[in-house]
Amino acid sequence: MHTCHSIFCITPPHMLQEIVRNGSATQRDIALRTLITSEQFRGQRRAMKTMAAFMSAAAETGNKRRAVYDAKLGSELPGTLVRSEGDHASSDPAINEAYDGSGITYDLFFDIFGRNSIDNKGLKLDSTVHFQKGYDNAFWDGKQMVYGDGDEDLPAAERLFNRFTISLDIIGHELTHGVTQYEANLAYWDQAGALNESLSDVFGSLVKQYQRKQTASQADWIIGEGLFTSNVKGVGIRSMKAPGTAYDDPILGKDPQPGHMKDYVRTVEDNGGVHINSGIPNRAFYITAIELGGNAWEKAGRIWYKTLTEKLQERSTFQQGCDLTYEAAGELFGANSLEQQAVKKGWAEVGISVAGDAPSGCLSTVLSVFGISLRAEK
Amino acid sequence: MKILFERTGGIMGSKSVLNIKLEDLPSNEADTLRKLLSDADFFSLSEDLAVHPSPDAFHYTITVATDTIQHTIHTSDTTAAQELRPLLQELSQRARTLRRP
Repeated sequence: MHTCHSIFCITPPHMLQEIVRNGSATQRDIALRTLITSEQFRGQRRAMKTMAAFMSAAAETGNKRRAVYDAKLGSELPGTLVRSEGDHASSDPAINEAYDGSGITYDLFFDIFGRNSIDNKGLKLDSTVHFQKGYDNAFWDGKQMVYGDGDEDLPAAERLFNRFTISLDIIGHELTHGVTQYEANLAYWDQAGALNESLSDVFGSLVKQYQRKQTASQADWIIGEGLFTSNVKGVGIRSMKAPGTAYDDPILGKDPQPGHMKDYVRTVEDNGGVHINSGIPNRAFYITAIELGGNAWEKAGRIWYKTLTEKLQERSTFQQGCDLTYEAAGELFGANSLEQQAVKKGWAEVGISVAGDAPSGCLSTVLSVFGISLRAEK
Repeated sequence: MKILFERTGGIMGSKSVLNIKLEDLPSNEADTLRKLLSDADFFSLSEDLAVHPSPDAFHYTITVATDTIQHTIHTSDTTAAQELRPLLQELSQRARTLRRP
């Protein structure tokens, strides 16, 4: 026999439907059961169809659906299913890190930006761990996240990389590539590709900050913390705060990221330097977040999320990244608001001026005489 | 036979290069590489197998030259055929050993 929660028993159907839409997981479950029971009592066939639609929506909204697979050091994807949503923790840390990390990333996007998974329609979050032997990388293949174990097969003294799931911001980074694919679908080369990379670093870092409950000033702004073994002279693979300073190692070399347009790297490698020049928009975000203070996901994160989901396009440039985040800040917080001014300052400090706000007067004349442009266009 | 192997990209955007002359390798290692090339049917592979780059995936360029033929292919973690992957793994491992100080 059905027992109903005392509050929901006396709640009118339209309110229950609101709870199904907007309540917590537990509230939704109870409200759904109550609605179904009451509709059954009334014997309303059409209403039952409506309920089916509600149940479907509830399954799609706010419910994480994660699956972790094990490639067992091979390269076939996705591999063997080793943990599904709700399963107990594994004895394998890589499996748990992939599971927990994708969950925390889901939570940030859902709790703060109201986004339901990668596609905003509840897409299952698939991760594969133990990809290939000695695979020192992680990537998004268009459908799922894939993680290698680093240098697990080398003697300890020769290892440079730990397993790639060890770093929560790497997991957030890969998952954000999926979000970008479903939204701006930024091309993966030149400035559009560097914006694509930067957005993954931005939200990857926010995932870590959100989990640690850190303010912008408390965060380390390092991408890939913990990824290097103690054999490497470095703190991570990138620094959003100080691009170019994350590592300086005899084997890996020096972090090549610029933090200003004057140091923009023109190259055909790495799809036109997508992992190199992303240091420029990364630092613009960092400065904006520091300028605004508090939790970076609350204001700077919302501005960048709105820009990613509503404004950027496949071939967007750094200049457009600047202009569109400025525009998004104005729409969210008002024209000339402190938030919009913070965005403007963030980009200005990396050498990019908001369109229509370029240097004027004597400075403009001097710059033009020497053929110097502060615009970000390549 | 010579093999030139380049691996670029990945989440760090790094580059590894390996240049091998099979005649300079111990015979068992040279045989392994010849077999992997044969298993992959290397000289029949299309030149460009990495049309759309995937975020953070490695991209590979392999050139194999003999006295009579030279062939280059471009591929990636997401586009490489299963038959080619053992060769990619073997060359990646060899490139990794070069990074020692």
